[in-house]
Amino acid sequence: MAKGLIKGLGITLKHFFKPKVTVQYPEQRLPLPDRFYGKPEFYYDKCIACNMCVNACPNRVIKLETETVDKKKVVTKYDFDQQYCLFCGLCEEACPKDAIKFSKDFELTRYNRPDIKIEFVQPDQVERKKEEIKKAAAAKAAAEAAKAKEQEEQKPADAGEEGS
Amino acid sequence: MTIKTEEFLLNLGPQHPSTHGVFRIILTLDGETVVKAVPVPGYLHRGIEKLAESRTYTQVIPYTDRLDYLAGMLMNWGYVYAVEKLMNVEVPERAEYIRVIVGELARIASHLVATGAYAADIGGLTGFIYTFRDREDIMDLLEMISGARLTPSYMRIGGVAADIPDGFIEKCRRFIDYLPDAIEEYNGLITGNEIFQARTKNVAVLSAEKAIDMSLSGPVLRASGVNYDLRKARPYSVYDRFEFEVPLGTKGDCFDRYYVRLLEMEQSAKIIRQALDQLPEGPIKGKVPKVIKPPKGEAYAEIESSKGIMGTYVVSDGSTNPYRVHFRRPSFVNLGYLDEMLKGWKIADVIAILGSIDIVLGEVDA
Amino acid sequence: MENLFVNMASGMRSLLASAGLPDAATNFVLMFLKLGAILVYILISALWLVYMERKVSAYMQCRIGPNRVGPLGLLQTTADIGKLISKEFIIPRCADKKLFLLGPILIFMPPLAVFAVAPFGKDMVAIDMNIGVYYFLAVASLSTVIVWMAGWASNNKYSLIGGMRVVAQMVSYEMPLILSIVGVIILTGTLNMSEIIRAQEDVWFIFLQPLGFLIYLIAGVAETNRAPFDLVEGESEIICGPFTEYSGMGFAMFFLAEYANVVLVSVMAVTLFFGGWHAPLGLTFIPSWIWFLLKVYGMIFLFMWFRWTYPRIRVDQLMEFGWKVLVPLSIANIFVTGIGKYLYQTIRW
Repeated sequence: MAKGLIKGLGITLKHFFKPKVTVQYPEQRLPLPDRFYGKPEFYYDKCIACNMCVNACPNRVIKLETETVDKKKVVTKYDFDQQYCLFCGLCEEACPKDAIKFSKDFELTRYNRPDIKIEFVQPDQVERKKEEIKKAAAAKAAAEAAKAKEQEEQKPADAGEEGS
Repeated sequence: MTIKTEEFLLNLGPQHPSTHGVFRIILTLDGETVVKAVPVPGYLHRGIEKLAESRTYTQVIPYTDRLDYLAGMLMNWGYVYAVEKLMNVEVPERAEYIRVIVGELARIASHLVATGAYAADIGGLTGFIYTFRDREDIMDLLEMISGARLTPSYMRIGGVAADIPDGFIEKCRRFIDYLPDAIEEYNGLITGNEIFQARTKNVAVLSAEKAIDMSLSGPVLRASGVNYDLRKARPYSVYDRFEFEVPLGTKGDCFDRYYVRLLEMEQSAKIIRQALDQLPEGPIKGKVPKVIKPPKGEAYAEIESSKGIMGTYVVSDGSTNPYRVHFRRPSFVNLGYLDEMLKGWKIADVIAILGSIDIVLGEVDA
Repeated sequence: MENLFVNMASGMRSLLASAGLPDAATNFVLMFLKLGAILVYILISALWLVYMERKVSAYMQCRIGPNRVGPLGLLQTTADIGKLISKEFIIPRCADKKLFLLGPILIFMPPLAVFAVAPFGKDMVAIDMNIGVYYFLAVASLSTVIVWMAGWASNNKYSLIGGMRVVAQMVSYEMPLILSIVGVIILTGTLNMSEIIRAQEDVWFIFLQPLGFLIYLIAGVAETNRAPFDLVEGESEIICGPFTEYSGMGFAMFFLAEYANVVLVSVMAVTLFFGGWHAPLGLTFIPSWIWFLLKVYGMIFLFMWFRWTYPRIRVDQLMEFGWKVLVPLSIANIFVTGIGKYLYQTIRW
């Protein structure tokens, strides 16, 4: 009559002496799979400001602002408002250059609300990038100027040759 | 001497340990006996159907995760299946097999929660912990393949997001081999327990006719002895290639509703094993344009989710956003008969009956 | 070791006598000290039992349980009580304020009063009352009234249902509890706890009264409101029963009193059926009071084992089981015991 009752007692007693499954979390950690969606990571130099991630996001988490320097887009702002993130990975999937990725860091709690929002782009980064572009543009311009000069120098020479 | 007695009103929920979330039932009680029950859903309503209208077709997928969050994979599947039907997209075979594998894993996970939570509802907390211990393995598997435990957002229109990672198949096989032992343990601790049987057998018997009349589906319907499983009755995807049985109950009481789920887990394991054996090589995503713009029209597709028939109705106006998305949520439909079922039972049975229907509030309230 | 506490008591007595106190005053002070010691024991025991329950449940559920606060988590309950003390004690606006406050104050009284007659070891009983068993049964059932009072005063429907369940459950399970003990009383012919233990020198009454013990065990679990008979609290049904509205220390008092009751029922079980402080198998080198405590905690482990294995029974099934199964069985047990004793005596003569 009470067979089931006794069997149940047997099962719980068996587990009483069995090894436990608890993972002592902060000290012990389970390995996370590679595909895990943790804290987002942004690679500034890879980004081409194509706006694909912004459009892919279902919750409009990403704010991307650009500035055009010398006909080139420079990312001046890449804000990731984590509190609205669904961690679906659609932005990562949409990115053609792997500029946004998700790391394995899952401890995302913050003490203050403003800290939740991640502002990926630092001003000095933008400055550097702008400088680079300007430098590159200047170098290019210089190169072009030099080239033009060379050509120009060649031109009179050619003309002279022609003339002679 | 006659004692003057009076009925009284008891507000069960929305904050209550065993309403599986924020469900509310207004009970009119005569002592401990329920005279009248009025279920009040809606405390977790997030308007997912409305939200979907301002998202593109792909962007709706993460929202479907949040319907039945215990089996997010199946909810993904139901939605993408409807959109594929609308667009007439061919899904590659490998993708279909992967869908079956993860879908059945999600079904087992969902049933494990149902089993454990039911044990906890009846009062035996240990069963709850045991099922969650084993569910953890499934969560690890799903995390491995999709990157998230509960909200995978894994399926895409025309296929799946990523291929099976290394080591997944071995791990999956190991779990499938282990599952029968676990189920035997549940049978020993929960199913075979005389107190559990006394609490659930012959409680809230639901006849087959009534269950069909109220358009119930899933384990709740099959516990009443109605052999209707979409995977068998109207095979979608590649389900016609697998051999499995549809477990049926005989009486339609709480015990049957509970036990059918345990049996279904075994069948799901069987399907996964076959799918792993037959898994073909090939692409995982069909030919789908980058910007999804289905032609004008509408489509309705149904799949068998862990709670019952999950239907998705999608209307397209030819733009990138769906004009209307509607989900037929099985948990919500299954609740339709709750007030009748509760009548005449005790307070303790209210919990037992509600638990046996296995609702997920994310799905009930959408 | 054996006479540690007895020697302490007699040393205290001679100390007081040498200080020139009259006999009556010495007795009074000594009695006060004894009861104080029991109170300290109950409180420490309750704290320890909360910890033990958490550890036992964790181990049965493949978990580790508390292990952060103090060595092996031993200070966990202390920390919990500290937290509960520091919390606000909320009195619901519509509650009967006086009764509501009186509940947690009185709840410790019955177990404390009953422990006075509990024999913890050889010659270690605070008051050797010759109606000890009767006293135990009478006073222990008082806690029903207090729990019901708390449930009523809370003015909450869940509390009221819980309170009603307490009364129904206690009334129906007090019957088999008492009737199961009657068998032991027939065998010994005394109500004195020490006498009952002394009568078990050769053979424990569990072997003579197996059915009596089984009934006592079941009724005892029901008396302490523990699973599978924890309908009073019925966490998944009526939140926390009569204690739903209590917060902070008020809740903690009920919580600890539950464990004090568990100790009480276990102490009685050991006294009546497990030979009290008698050492089994002639292992007398271990002091009697250690044996007694070992047996008590063994019994408590059994209670915990039940709790973490079994689901909860339903209220009508509980009544049915109590009145239709346990009461007839215990009456049959008395009948058989009576006949047995009569036959034994006739044959012997």
